[in-house]
Amino acid sequence: MKTQRAADIAVGFLVALLGIFVLVSSTWISVAGVHRLSPRTFPYTVGILLVLCGAGLAMKSWSIRGKDFAIVWPDGEGIRLILVSLVGVAGYIALMNPLGLPLATFLYVAFGVWYLKRSKWVTALVIGLITGVLSHYVFIQLLGLSFPAGFLFE
Amino acid sequence: MGFSFDYLLQGFATALTLQNLFWALVGCFIGTLVGVLPGIGPVSGIAILLPLTTVLPPTSAIIMMAAIYYGAMYGGSTTAIVVNIPGEASSVPTAMDGYEMAKEGRAGPALAISAIASFAAGTLSVIALTFFAPMLAEFAVAFGPPEYFALMFMGLSLVISLSGRALLKGLISMALGLGAALIGQDPLTGAARLTFGTVTLNAGVEFISVIVGLFAISEVMINVEQRIAVISEFDIDNWMPTWADIKQCMGSMARATGVGFFLGLLPGCAPSVTAFVAYDLEKRVSKHPEMFGKGAIEGVAASEASNNATSTAGFVPLFSFGLPTAPSMAVLLGGLMMYGLQPGPMLFAQNPQFVWAVIASMYIGNVMLLILNLPLVGMWARIVKVPFYILGPVIVFCAVVGTYSLRFQTFDVWVMLCFGVLGYFMRKLGFPVAPMVLASVLAQMLETALGQSLLISQGSPLVFFTRPISAVFMGLALLSIGRGIWVLMRTEAPEVAVEDVA
Repeated sequence: MKTQRAADIAVGFLVALLGIFVLVSSTWISVAGVHRLSPRTFPYTVGILLVLCGAGLAMKSWSIRGKDFAIVWPDGEGIRLILVSLVGVAGYIALMNPLGLPLATFLYVAFGVWYLKRSKWVTALVIGLITGVLSHYVFIQLLGLSFPAGFLFE
Repeated sequence: MGFSFDYLLQGFATALTLQNLFWALVGCFIGTLVGVLPGIGPVSGIAILLPLTTVLPPTSAIIMMAAIYYGAMYGGSTTAIVVNIPGEASSVPTAMDGYEMAKEGRAGPALAISAIASFAAGTLSVIALTFFAPMLAEFAVAFGPPEYFALMFMGLSLVISLSGRALLKGLISMALGLGAALIGQDPLTGAARLTFGTVTLNAGVEFISVIVGLFAISEVMINVEQRIAVISEFDIDNWMPTWADIKQCMGSMARATGVGFFLGLLPGCAPSVTAFVAYDLEKRVSKHPEMFGKGAIEGVAASEASNNATSTAGFVPLFSFGLPTAPSMAVLLGGLMMYGLQPGPMLFAQNPQFVWAVIASMYIGNVMLLILNLPLVGMWARIVKVPFYILGPVIVFCAVVGTYSLRFQTFDVWVMLCFGVLGYFMRKLGFPVAPMVLASVLAQMLETALGQSLLISQGSPLVFFTRPISAVFMGLALLSIGRGIWVLMRTEAPEVAVEDVA
């Protein structure tokens, strides 16, 4: 999928498949009673749109000859940065309930700053600590929102 | 229900209470910050903060949200001028001349003229909003479900047909937005749809999670990939523009305000679009068009005036018809609905104290923004120096906190992350994001209006073509779809959307 044309063909095909999946899933929606607008109508419309537009995109892109351009995908280092950052966010979300918002925030922000900067872990720890403490005092204490406080603050 | 000075004065009385003034100032400050910082835009800013404002009364919350939106339009020019990185897509034309001015040692006057142009356009547009919105609302009282369905259908088709040459991608984006909004229980029958037997999905997908993911998380991913480490290049010493500068820009500001406001009334004409139109117009009418792109101060003024006028103009269809014209407006619509307020003609009749307070706060907000932006221009320029390795994790933290506080479930945060990844690929592959956002917010209203229309017509879809107003909207929608298909058929290159993130 290095060029726009190739990517559009592949994505068009995937979207059409998704449309078929939505259409099939829509048949499972129970329709009890008589309604002017069945609960299946909109899901069917979405499925049909996805199938038609996905197939249309794939076919149109297939028919294009000549004019094409490259998609700027990240290089190896870029992919690694994105993946590790995403794993960091996933870890943050997963740890929020067991550790509480302040501690999970401290760990995530400290890790994120350290990882993106690749040096000065003291700076990372300080920024993480400030954000973690602020998250506790602003969102839990001041605004009284029901975030998990974690074992440190309970 | 129409315009009356009494209502406006009452609005000022509400907006000028200490509490509302405070939240307007907070909104203006956060908005300018959101505009200044690359990596977070007005849509993400509003979407992240919206769930956190539930502790505020509705009027204060919406005053703050609106201030964030137009504040971001003010702030977007700073990075464009100082480091040639537009904070928002709408600031791209500003960067073309503003950065050239900065290179000539005139960053200060460029920043100041952008603040003055934003103020002038913002204020003129609020005046127009004051008169236009109630007038249109009075007209919209005659609307029934068929008219609303046709209006929303027209809005969506305009947004899609304006997605550059990417009609099919715009339609796919819209279908994905509709699909996301359909997950959960059917509002009319209670039947579970697209839940695949999962109990968690029964409650549906929160549109804020979708929007924060599509905008904030995908933007962070793009910045991480590009390893952006923003460092300001210019110091701002003398920020006062000369009288000659201001005189030179007055015509540009007036023209750009007109262009920005009137185009901004149309769905799909985001500030990013109108800024280019106004910039191009200025170049055409200028006595020295060769200077555009090389440091023409009128270019900065035109671009900034039009994007601010457009952002205010978006409130006219939002308040009068309940129709969002851009992603930011869709988030604000969602915010209004979160507070149990139904935008549309009845908003002026049923909640005049609310709507007039928000409008009055915009006059005050514009003055606040001028004060925040002119003397503090050096401070905003210094904020640009905050490096991305700090900004990125902090943006993610804000996004996580914002989405978690929707229902206090990590499920919403996972949804945000998934849509962040989807948004990243959509941007890379040239898919427009705006149709998806608008569709995800409008889906339920569309379905309800369609259901009610079919009930009125006893199942006949001809109801949309036999009633004059809905027939006009459907006609316009079909025209815009026809235009999109015509462009699609003539295009011999791969589809890529015009960026549309305001």
